Amino acid sequence: MSISETEPKIQPAQPLTPAPPEPPADHALTATARRHTWRRNRFAWWLIAPALIFMLLVHIVPMLLGVYVGFLKLNTFTLPKLFGAPFIGLANFKGLFDSANPIHDGFVDATRNTAIYTSTVVAGTIGGGMAVALLLNRSFPGQRIVRTLMLTPWIIPTFVVATLWQFMWQKDAGIINKVLVDYTHVLSHKPTWLLGDNTIWAIVIPSIWRGLPLPMLFFLAGLQAMPPELHEAAKMDGAGAWQRFRHITFPLLRPLIGIQLLFGVIYATYQFVMPYIMFGSDPGPKADLLMTLIVRQAFDNNLFGYGAAISTLLMLAMGAWVALWYLAFRRDLEVAA
Amino acid sequence: MRRARKTRLFILLAASVVLALVVAACGGKSSSSDTTKAAAPATSIKGATVTMWVMNNGPHPVEDTQRILQPFELQTGVKVDVKLVGWDVQFDRIKNAAVSGTGPDITQAGTTQVPFFAALGGFQDLSQYTSQIGGAGAYANGIWKTTQVEGQSGTWAVPWFTEARAIYYRKDALEKAGVDPATAFTDWDAFNNTLIKLKAVKDIGGKPIKPYGGPGKKAFDLVHSVMPFVWTAGGSELTPDNKQSAINSPQSAEGVEFYANLIREGVFDTSALEKDGQGVENMFKGGQLAVWIGGPWVLGSTGRADDKTWSDAARKNVGIAPLPKGPSGKSFAFVGGSNLMMYKNSKNKDASWAVIKYLSQDASQKAYADLMGMFPARLAPQKQIGDTDQNHKEFLQAIEEGRSYAPIPQWAQVENAYKSSFGDILDTAAGFGGKAYSTQAVQKQLDAAAKEADTLLAQGA
Repeated sequence: MSISETEPKIQPAQPLTPAPPEPPADHALTATARRHTWRRNRFAWWLIAPALIFMLLVHIVPMLLGVYVGFLKLNTFTLPKLFGAPFIGLANFKGLFDSANPIHDGFVDATRNTAIYTSTVVAGTIGGGMAVALLLNRSFPGQRIVRTLMLTPWIIPTFVVATLWQFMWQKDAGIINKVLVDYTHVLSHKPTWLLGDNTIWAIVIPSIWRGLPLPMLFFLAGLQAMPPELHEAAKMDGAGAWQRFRHITFPLLRPLIGIQLLFGVIYATYQFVMPYIMFGSDPGPKADLLMTLIVRQAFDNNLFGYGAAISTLLMLAMGAWVALWYLAFRRDLEVAA
Repeated sequence: MRRARKTRLFILLAASVVLALVVAACGGKSSSSDTTKAAAPATSIKGATVTMWVMNNGPHPVEDTQRILQPFELQTGVKVDVKLVGWDVQFDRIKNAAVSGTGPDITQAGTTQVPFFAALGGFQDLSQYTSQIGGAGAYANGIWKTTQVEGQSGTWAVPWFTEARAIYYRKDALEKAGVDPATAFTDWDAFNNTLIKLKAVKDIGGKPIKPYGGPGKKAFDLVHSVMPFVWTAGGSELTPDNKQSAINSPQSAEGVEFYANLIREGVFDTSALEKDGQGVENMFKGGQLAVWIGGPWVLGSTGRADDKTWSDAARKNVGIAPLPKGPSGKSFAFVGGSNLMMYKNSKNKDASWAVIKYLSQDASQKAYADLMGMFPARLAPQKQIGDTDQNHKEFLQAIEEGRSYAPIPQWAQVENAYKSSFGDILDTAAGFGGKAYSTQAVQKQLDAAAKEADTLLAQGA
């Protein structure tokens, strides 16, 4: 007895995404057919039941309780009551958008900073990853060594990256300013990275540095799986390098770009370690991301209601992003008809 | 039939896996203790184990505390299990233990944190015990106040050790600048002039030195550095009734501006703003700063040969002076330290009190404070340490002139709001803020901080 009765169909022109299994063609949607399907799948359901219950207890239930906290007045004084704290409806959410409320300015700053951070980091890692993959996709002496070296930023934990770059960014003693001003004379005076307007770049640049290898690896694998005949045929027809990239490479890599985009945006929006380790719980008006704002307001200031409200809004925003992404990349996930 | 039995077997397996997971997830959560149980008679504390949380008090916090408690353990037969909880996580851990009902018997807590923890409701009122250690009379007024909570009667902690912030200066740097230490820091004008004269001293023994440095908003104790200037200008963190913020009053603004102006005058090493408190402390110990504001533990570490952050010149030339008098004519220092609190759900209340009582004896007070370079919390041993030398005498004077913050549960959050604001003002003064520095800009920042503080203060309503 097997779960699926047909083999997945493999399309020769789509080497990168496997097709989902199709239901057997001889079963119509009759009551008998549905009963047969259910009985066959019951075994599978029993096997995944533990994981499902675990997920419910550890993910779904706490998430729903967290959303509920957003509707409560949970602070220093009501903390012992926890879920019995006073129910205040949408007051926390309204407060975030009310310019008379002190928390509003911080929320606006954090949202803006997170948008800048996410867009620059995702563009940098995907664009940079693509560029490096294209460069590495040819044989040259030392190719293997270069490829391994390009991977090393990814295996360093974010915590260590943040700590190291924090020392590198220091104005007087940091190596970056020393190279920019003292050694190469690119700049005339040493800028401050850990304070003021440059703080956003102080977290963006290490994030791109650390995040670039993963997309690069995906794209490199995709490029190397691409049949060389396509490029050769295009070259014979007189297509230039850019045209070949635009009409052959890019469309075939679209599914991979889609995946990197999906996870890249979610990961960047939820970034916490980089600003928190580099700046502490208050990164300042230019580098404060939504996650550091939530942690500061909820746990340092004990304004749990606001923290939960911001978390809920962030979750809804990411849900909207996933829906948008699905609309754009839906056809990359399905088998070509 | 075979298929049915196979299915039943797998149902059983799945159910047992789920059960195991549920038991694992819920296990370890002890039921909340019975608080109506009568206290066990004092004679039966022998053999009890008391769990105690301490923070990073010095380089070997657990060993040092255990060493001090050893005579107590031998004498009473009580075992004390000392656990380290770092300053970076202690606030959440103590809070979670109080709210969940599971935690140690005793915990150390910062003096400014006691009102918040007491308001959570998980701690024991110690007023029935404190007469055994002399009560309020055995402690300086400002220090005893840190055991009280506004609006809640009772004594919620026992003071353990005290620290006050004073001026650290390099005697050799002042000498080279031609400044007499006795009059260098008496009032704001003298303080300013000393730093300006120190600007001319570019280096000592070939090592570059800057006049003054202080941490920025990365330091958890930034407010302790700035607030004394606010106080001495006649300002205050809150109104006398503790219901509203007073950080934007003209006097408070004058105090904040005095500190920020040090940056504008070029006597403040702005690279210190990138660092936290420990980072700037290491700058002074390493010989990069001539003047710094810090606590007594740094003085204590000059004698420790294993502390390698000191440069030789700095180690030998440390001088202490009280903070300068401002327009109000009085000098104020921030007085802090740590207290000991007992959890309400402790199963060994009598044994725990015995530990706290032992740590409050004059001898153990002096021994522990000596180890860490802190001051004892009690009056008598405090005076003993103060008599050690001139530098210690200055610190004792700072403690006596000391002041701390309002004992309200929301203080930690108000302090966070002020820390953000002070940090931004210092950044703007240093030219990093993106906006121009002016008295109006400072006032605007302080008004925003006051508004945020007022909202936080109104939580209790």
